[in-house]
Amino acid sequence: MESSPTEYISRSLLSVTVRRALVSARFYLVYGTVISLLLGVVLAFASGSSFASSYPLFLPIFGVVGSMGGLLVFTSDRTKGVLEYLLAYGYSPRRLFANILLTAMVLVTIVVAISVSASLAVYFARGHPATSALAIGLGVYAIPMTYVCAAFASTVGVYWTALSSLRVGVSSPIGLTPFVGILPALVTLFVIIGAERSGPLSTTTLLLILGTGMGLIALFVIVLLVSMGRFLRRERLLSAA
Amino acid sequence: MASPPSLSGPPVSAGSGADIDCRSVTSGYLGSRVLHQVSFRITEPSIYVVLGPNGAGKTTLFRTLAGILRPYEGEVFIGGEPISRQSSRDRLHYLTHLDGMPDGLTVREAIEFFARAEGAQSGDVERVLDQLQIRELSTKFPSQLSAGQRKRVSIARVFLRERSIYLLDEPTANLDPKLAREIRELILRLSREKIVLYSSHNLFEAREIGRYVLVIKSGQISRFDRIENVRGSRYVLGIRVLQPSPALAGYDHEGEYYLRELSGPEEVPGVLRELMAQGVQIREAREMENPLEDLFA
Repeated sequence: MESSPTEYISRSLLSVTVRRALVSARFYLVYGTVISLLLGVVLAFASGSSFASSYPLFLPIFGVVGSMGGLLVFTSDRTKGVLEYLLAYGYSPRRLFANILLTAMVLVTIVVAISVSASLAVYFARGHPATSALAIGLGVYAIPMTYVCAAFASTVGVYWTALSSLRVGVSSPIGLTPFVGILPALVTLFVIIGAERSGPLSTTTLLLILGTGMGLIALFVIVLLVSMGRFLRRERLLSAA
Repeated sequence: MASPPSLSGPPVSAGSGADIDCRSVTSGYLGSRVLHQVSFRITEPSIYVVLGPNGAGKTTLFRTLAGILRPYEGEVFIGGEPISRQSSRDRLHYLTHLDGMPDGLTVREAIEFFARAEGAQSGDVERVLDQLQIRELSTKFPSQLSAGQRKRVSIARVFLRERSIYLLDEPTANLDPKLAREIRELILRLSREKIVLYSSHNLFEAREIGRYVLVIKSGQISRFDRIENVRGSRYVLGIRVLQPSPALAGYDHEGEYYLRELSGPEEVPGVLRELMAQGVQIREAREMENPLEDLFA
C-alpha cells in the first residue's frame, strides 16, 4: 500500500532537520566538538590520570553546546511560520518536539564520536593504560551524561521557547539553554563530591549515584515529553507575527 | 437573532469532494476567544475574499479552517469530514501570511521539502520554479532573498499540487505589481474549479478578483454576500477624456479624472451618452470609490 504524503515526509523530516541544524547551527557544533577535542588532546598529552579524571567532566558541557542546533531550528521554525505549515500538514506538536529531540541526539553523537575517539587515540598513542577509572569515567558517566544533558537541554529549551515571548538575545531561551543544560551534570557531580567528603566512594556507590542521577534526569525528560500535549497547546507553536 | 450567513451554490465538479462547512465555531488562542460562533457553508468554486480590520479574526479563521487551531466549540468539516482527519487536511492548501521559509535550506531544497509534504513529484518542483520565476533563486538561502522573493517562494508550494480548497492569507503582500497580477491570474484560473478563500488588505484587488466577500468584525461574520451586491454609501464616476471639453466644466478633478457623484451605477450609461452627444471623447470611465471600503466602517 502506498504511503500518504505525510507519512512519507515523516521519514525524511528528521534527516532534513539534522541537515538544517548542521547548516544553521554549525558554529555550536564546531565549537562543542573542537573545544572538547582540544581539551581531550591536551589532557591526554599532559598525563593519563589528568585525562581520566578531567575529560569526562568536560564532555557533557560541550556535548550540550554542540546539540543546540535542534533548538535553534525549532525557534527559527516557530518564528518564521514553518511549524504552522507542519501543523497544517497534520503533524502533532509531540511529533515535532520528538523530531527536535532526535536531532539533538544526532548532533551530540557527532560531538561525542569525534571528540572521544580522537582524544582516546591520543591517550593510547601516548602509552597511557586503559584503567577502570577511565572506563567508568567515560562509559558510565561522561558519554551517557552527555546524551542525558543534551536531551534535558533540548526539552527544557523547547518548553521555554514555546512558553516565552522573548525569541532572541543572550537572555532568551536559546541563549540560556546551554547553561541550563549542564545543570544536571553539575548537580550529579556535587552529590558525588559531597558523598566523598565522608570517605572514598566504592565503585558500586559511585555507579549507584550516577545511575540514579541520570535516571532521574531521563525520567524528567520523559515526563516533559509525555506532558507536552497538556502543557504546550498547538497555538504555542505559532508565530506571534 | 439573525441566522448565520450561508451561501450554497451549485455543486462542485464531480469527485472533488470539496466544500467547507463551518458550524458554530468558537476559536482562539490559549483560551482567549477570537472567533465567536462563526457559521458558514461554501460549496461553489469561486474566490471568496475575506476582509476585516486588523485583529478581527481573519488569520484565526484561516488557521481554524486549516485544522491548526482546534475550535473550543463547533466544528469544521471539509468535504463532509471533520478537519481533524488527515483525509480532510489533504483536500486543502494553506498559505500563511508568513513566508514559512525553513532556515538552512536553499530555495530548491525548501520547495522539494514541501513537495514531499504535498506528495508532489520532482516534475512539479521544476514546473513551479518556472511558473513563479524563482529558478534563478534556487541555490540561494532565505537570508539572501528580498521580502518579495521570499513571498514568491512561499507561494510556490500552493502550486505544487492541485487541491480542492485553497486558503490564502494575504498571498500578494510584499509582491511587486507585475508579479502580484500574475499571482492573481493564477488564482483566478484556480477558482474556476476550486474554492479559494483569499484575505487581503487591498480592497481594489479584492474587488478585482473576488466574487464573494466574507467580512469579519470582532470575531463574527458581519456580511457574506456577492461582491456585486455590495453598494457603497456614494457612487462617484471618474471619466478620463482624450481632449478637455467645456461639457465637463462643472466636474471636479482628481488627477486625470473628471468626477461626478451619481445615485448609483444605473445612471452611468445615461451620463456617458449625454457627454458623447456633446462631443466629449471618452477614454475611460470607472467607479472611483470602492464600495468594499464601507464594509470597514
